[in-house]
Amino acid sequence: MITFGTPAFLLAGALGALVPLALHLIRRRPPNRAPLPTERFLAPDPRTAVRVSRPTDLLLLALRMLLLVLAGAAFAHPVWFPAARGTREVVLLDTGTGMGAAWPQAVAEARRLLLGADGKPRGELVLFDTIAVPMRRLDARSFASLQATPPTGAESRYAAALEMIPAATRELRGADSVRVTLITRARWAAWSEGLSALRRAAWPGAIGLVSIPVPPATDSARGDTAAREAIRIAGDARTPVSYTRAALQATGWSVRDVPIADAVSVEGARLVVVEDAVPAPLAGAVRRGAEGGATVLVTAPAAASLRGLIPWRGTLRADSTGGAMWLASGEHIGRAAVRVSGDAAPGAALIASWEDGRPAAAARRMGRGCIVFAAADLERGEMTMDAAYPRVVDRFARGCESPGPADGDAPLDAGARAVLHGSGPAAVAASAIPGAGGGIALGRWVMAAALLAALAETFFAYSRRSAA
Amino acid sequence: MTSAPSTAFLPPGLLERLGGLELIAKTVVRGFQAGIHRSPLRGAGEDFAKHRDYQQGDDVRYLDWKLYGRTDRLYVREFEERSNLQAFVVVDTSASMEYAGAGGVTKLRYASYVAAALAHLMIGAGDSVGLAAFGAEARLLLAPRARSGHLHDLLLSLERLAPGGSEGAADVLDRVGVTMRRGGRVILISDLLEDDGGEALAAAAGRLRARGDEVMVLRVLTPEESGEAAPDAGLFFDPEHPAREVPATPRLDPGYARRVGAYYAALADRLRQRGVEYVPLSTEQPVEQALVAWVNRRRGA
Repeated sequence: MITFGTPAFLLAGALGALVPLALHLIRRRPPNRAPLPTERFLAPDPRTAVRVSRPTDLLLLALRMLLLVLAGAAFAHPVWFPAARGTREVVLLDTGTGMGAAWPQAVAEARRLLLGADGKPRGELVLFDTIAVPMRRLDARSFASLQATPPTGAESRYAAALEMIPAATRELRGADSVRVTLITRARWAAWSEGLSALRRAAWPGAIGLVSIPVPPATDSARGDTAAREAIRIAGDARTPVSYTRAALQATGWSVRDVPIADAVSVEGARLVVVEDAVPAPLAGAVRRGAEGGATVLVTAPAAASLRGLIPWRGTLRADSTGGAMWLASGEHIGRAAVRVSGDAAPGAALIASWEDGRPAAAARRMGRGCIVFAAADLERGEMTMDAAYPRVVDRFARGCESPGPADGDAPLDAGARAVLHGSGPAAVAASAIPGAGGGIALGRWVMAAALLAALAETFFAYSRRSAA
Repeated sequence: MTSAPSTAFLPPGLLERLGGLELIAKTVVRGFQAGIHRSPLRGAGEDFAKHRDYQQGDDVRYLDWKLYGRTDRLYVREFEERSNLQAFVVVDTSASMEYAGAGGVTKLRYASYVAAALAHLMIGAGDSVGLAAFGAEARLLLAPRARSGHLHDLLLSLERLAPGGSEGAADVLDRVGVTMRRGGRVILISDLLEDDGGEALAAAAGRLRARGDEVMVLRVLTPEESGEAAPDAGLFFDPEHPAREVPATPRLDPGYARRVGAYYAALADRLRQRGVEYVPLSTEQPVEQALVAWVNRRRGA
């Protein structure tokens, strides 16, 4: 079966083929001029002054029409699907953030899609969080093993999964169609990020989506003021003005300032904000607090003293480059005063980036709690004056929490909707990688045939002209 | 009584492939001699013609003494006079003579075959033959001579004829009349497409006849011109007047052949009224066949 990525070109070619037909039919030209010594005896006949040429050059006409149809067909991106072996499946299974509670359900769904009644695989399974890895073996046993392995909890990067689609579909060449199913707890902001990767890739079809419902919050219920108690540990804790404290209070936290000392208890606090370097005993207390279920937010000035604790690697060199800090949700604040170099540690989820794409904040689970590192001084710089500042600090304070309703409820952009409906970038994708989705691109061969037709037309036209 | 010629005549297209005009002329003459019953172009030799009563003053050398012995009367033997007449072959080389029709030879080429054949015959009979042409201008190419090498010169001149111009035949006929001895023979080979409808031509031919010359006009035409075949075109021009174009469809015009026929019939009448022999020829007809038919027709007449 041959399908066309952009059938409008085929239509244009077919319509264009009518042009030479019309020209051959309606072209009028002077009649043949010939000597005749007895011309004086002829009766003038004005009807013969012009001659309607019949399409006598049928070969030339056919070649010209063929040339235009083939050119149109070549630009229409024809793809040949050599054999009809039914629909194969590619399942992208999210192993990242928020899949914990829904993991058994997600694996069961993947198994239902990929294993037939006979237990034979019907496609490819790609596991992804920040990277995507195809699962080599697909059988009941491997699915059981997968179900027993908890998800990584890392940030889910849809881009990684979508970029894997071409490779996965290439393995399925021969199927007459391929259906991709994404099993995830939908985060539309991450989706749009992945869409750009999809646009560069090859995918001639729609993507199905199995959205795992957001599980009820397992941590303390939001809005419970008593449970939102925060401790702020800072060298200037006694100063009356703290931007962090103000931001936390603005977002519903009850903040208690604690001066830096060896013996500080953080028990009972849901959030511990460490804004300055702390001595080792206090660092141990902070660690215990995290393991006990608290979220510990460490800012840049405290990084060195908590090096072994924070989900960060690198030199921790502070510079004054600053810049804007972006959350995955699109929220951002500009002009940080200090910026710490480095990268998120393995296993940590990236929760904010600098505008140049380098990591700005990361989070990692620790015991029952979470450690968050913000690679900036949250008390300094013009960023504290930004209207989004409280929301950014609140996002850091929520630590390893799954994305909030604000992420999940964000409307799909037009590109995402187009992909889900099987239109939009699909056609462009079909031409990018020949054979993706089981088809073989014929465009270049059809174009070669068009060029042959053009050469033949030139040859025959020249021959006719020479003969005349 | 005449019998059908046994020779297979050669079509003009085949003659053209024979090569030089000399070979063509010989071939045509062979076919001609095999086809005719008696040559009307005799005149040379000592052939006995008849007896007549002796009259005072007759040369006694021609008395037939044997007949006198049998009849006791004096008879004088008369012989056919050795003609040794002067003849001029006048060929039309106007631009219209370049026309060939579909797949045939040009009218000029056909006229050259006829001229060559006639010259071959006449020189073979001892006559002096000259050559004149008209087209771009009236030209007397060769004075009449009867020597054996003259035929070669004449054929060479015929080979060199090139078509062009639109001169009428009257001027060259008058010049031939001035040059040639009285009682000669003028053979005009032309398509006779004269701008004045042939008035001047007929007058000039009449003047030659008045001098006592024998004048023969051989009209050469292609089937396309006579209307027997339809030329494949839609716009026509006269080669002698190329700027004048006529959009026409001769194939669908039955009046065309009639108008052509009427023109030549009128011209033939004018010529015959002046004692000029008019012979229509077609380029699709084998030359020797045309000549045989003409000669036999003369004998019948």
